[in-house]
Amino acid sequence: MTNNYPFAVELKNVAKRYNEIVAVDNVDLAIQPGEIFGLLGPNGSGKSTILKMLLGLVQADFGAVRVLGLDVKLDSVAVKRLVGYTPESPRLYEFLTGVEFLDFIGDIYGMPAEEKRSRITEYLRALQLEGREGDMISSYSEGMKQKIALISAFLHKPKLLILDEPLNGLDPRSARIVKDFLHQLKLQGVTTIMSTHILEIAQAVCDRIGIMYQGRLLALGNMEELRQMAMLPGSGLEDIFLKLTGTGDVRAVVEELSK
Amino acid sequence: MNWKNVLYLVRVDRKSGRLLRGQKLTRYNPSRSRLTTFAFYFIAIAVGLGVGFLAQFIYSAAVSAEPNLQALFLGGYYSFLFSLPTISLLVSLIFTMLQQIQRSGVRATYQVPYWLPVTWEEHTVASVLAEVLGFPLISVAFISSLILVFSAFVGGFLSAIAAVLLMVAAAFMASALTEVFRILQVRFTGAVYKSTGRAAVWVRFVSSLVFFAVFYFIYFYIVSGAGPLVFVQTVASVQSAAWFVPFVWLGLTLFSLATGLLLQGTLFLALSLLFIAGLIYLGTLLNKRFGLYEPPAITVSRGTYTPKTGVLGRIGFSSAEAALVRKDLKAFTRRRELMATFILPIVFLILPIMTSLNTSPSTSAGDPFGQATFFLVFTTLLPVSMMAVSLGSFIIGEEGQGVWRIYASPISARNLVKSKYAFLLFFSLIVLPITGTAGFLIYQPSLRAMTALVLESIFLVFALGALSLANGIKGADFTEIPRPRMIRVEWSLINFIACAAVALAILAPLLAYELPVALFGTAPLIELYQALIISGVVAAVLGFAFYRLALENAEELIAKAET
Repeated sequence: MTNNYPFAVELKNVAKRYNEIVAVDNVDLAIQPGEIFGLLGPNGSGKSTILKMLLGLVQADFGAVRVLGLDVKLDSVAVKRLVGYTPESPRLYEFLTGVEFLDFIGDIYGMPAEEKRSRITEYLRALQLEGREGDMISSYSEGMKQKIALISAFLHKPKLLILDEPLNGLDPRSARIVKDFLHQLKLQGVTTIMSTHILEIAQAVCDRIGIMYQGRLLALGNMEELRQMAMLPGSGLEDIFLKLTGTGDVRAVVEELSK
Repeated sequence: MNWKNVLYLVRVDRKSGRLLRGQKLTRYNPSRSRLTTFAFYFIAIAVGLGVGFLAQFIYSAAVSAEPNLQALFLGGYYSFLFSLPTISLLVSLIFTMLQQIQRSGVRATYQVPYWLPVTWEEHTVASVLAEVLGFPLISVAFISSLILVFSAFVGGFLSAIAAVLLMVAAAFMASALTEVFRILQVRFTGAVYKSTGRAAVWVRFVSSLVFFAVFYFIYFYIVSGAGPLVFVQTVASVQSAAWFVPFVWLGLTLFSLATGLLLQGTLFLALSLLFIAGLIYLGTLLNKRFGLYEPPAITVSRGTYTPKTGVLGRIGFSSAEAALVRKDLKAFTRRRELMATFILPIVFLILPIMTSLNTSPSTSAGDPFGQATFFLVFTTLLPVSMMAVSLGSFIIGEEGQGVWRIYASPISARNLVKSKYAFLLFFSLIVLPITGTAGFLIYQPSLRAMTALVLESIFLVFALGALSLANGIKGADFTEIPRPRMIRVEWSLINFIACAAVALAILAPLLAYELPVALFGTAPLIELYQALIISGVVAAVLGFAFYRLALENAEELIAKAET
């Protein structure tokens, strides 16, 4: 695959405030095409805000955001055409059936009818939604809704996937399919940015990981680089994460709770 | 039964209104002032006292001017008093049932979490109490203060006190009955959906419309035109004959006690209280049986999925625009809270028909529109205009929290406005042949008058639809908890006033034609065809301007997705 842009995603000195709260604090980040990038951080650290900025759903107060060579601020519709997105808690149109929702998504992205049909059928089969695709989404479990949301992100073959907690509620088989599928997409040059609290998934899936804390990008690199930064050779991501974010001292909290 | 649990559950139910009011509670404060909690009751009592004093003043003035009126007034007052428990029951029942339907669109659950140590008895009693504390008790507070003040001056104070107590009992009866209906409705509709498959969507749509139509019919019968007086007389005269119907026992109790039949009164009172207890017991039994009942999934389609090309693409809609129109069509036929929009034309058909039942249609030579003009306007101009205004103001906010899908998709402001405007035009105009034909058949106007009103209706739909869409985008409210709000109250009000002004501007030429004829019998200021042309031009110019405004507002909405 040939790209005429050096980075799939490029954030330069990006900042965002909500009144007194600093959601994103001067973040610089560049993600290569075809990379699977994990964004980690405690609740409220600014992960979701950054993901939304990439789609133009949140406007940065300062700095520049470029996605697939396009300035998000100038043409967010063009960016959205190339991106597949699932938010943290996707609210779907519950009055539609699963297949009607995916058909709607296919039409929104202007997919040809035959391609839309074959891809929807394939995804429904792969994620074991066959037989329930004609039911209204209101009757789906959270996991089934998550599957529909994920299919809607994959359906139009985006060049960039922005997935906020993508494996929430998925059964182990579906979670495995999604992880393997992300690797397949990587080989095709598709870039994935995902945020997750499940550190094992991030460690297993991501090429590089960024750890955010209080709106700042605290650490960035592959597992080995993160271990060096945390000075914890041979450690897992959980220990690194807790040390870097300064949230590792949990023993006192547990003792207090157990009184 | 643990009454503390009941109290806690009632509190939770009553607090559900906080989100609706946009109240923000940032700090836990158990000693918060309770004054606002009772504000509605205080207001109802204050208004009731005011109306009571006014009624007493009017009564005194009328009787002092014409003493013969006293017997007539008092006869009417006692009829009203004796029918109050039954009327209170009916009105409370209608409102609590309509409230239940509104709650069908509520995302926040009002059900007690089933894992808590709460019994079904406690849950049922709490649910009934919470219903009573809403509209039923507010209406009782209003009427009670009114009749107590009035009777303090006019007489029959003891009867008024008894009426107040029996109205409270009637409110309990209505709420208990609503609780029973609610559970049965969940069970019944669930069973219907399960058995009808794809047709369930239409069963739900039609049954909801019928439900609304029936309850609105009763409601308007009571509160509009000659309805209230006829209704009071009917209730007062019928309740004695229908003594075997439990719902009139409270009214009969009052009648019996006031006329000295103490034993009979006591018997009806005991029966009424037993009936209320029986309803609560039945509600408990039904809750135990069906309380945790989950409505089955509605299967809309089975078999191979085949994408449809549709006609929209062939008439100039892009793939995304056509998809949005199809999605909205499904939303308005599948979401209960949106189905209510389709009841508007039916209401506007029912109202004039009921009011004009005793009016024979006729036309005079001097007035080409005839005496039925007023009713005809109700059945032609108003339903389509109200549809356009309602759809326009709701159609963006109805996206709810799912609006992220619009924000995250490659949908431009132009796509959004075009698809939404097309949808509201289609559904508003589709109403016109139905209500227009009904109006034509009932009031038999001249063909000329009918044509003029149909054309004006079309002009109004185009202009008011665009204006309401612009305001609906600007004031869109995507809150879904505890129920979908769709448009902020202030923008709803602004839209209503602006639409009234625009409608007047569009209709002004027609009024210049019609009013001199109808009011003064003089020649019209302009010819009818001139009036229609001017109206059309005004509507086109305004419609275009509002469409541009809607586009600008949509640009802003999409750009400011984060807020």
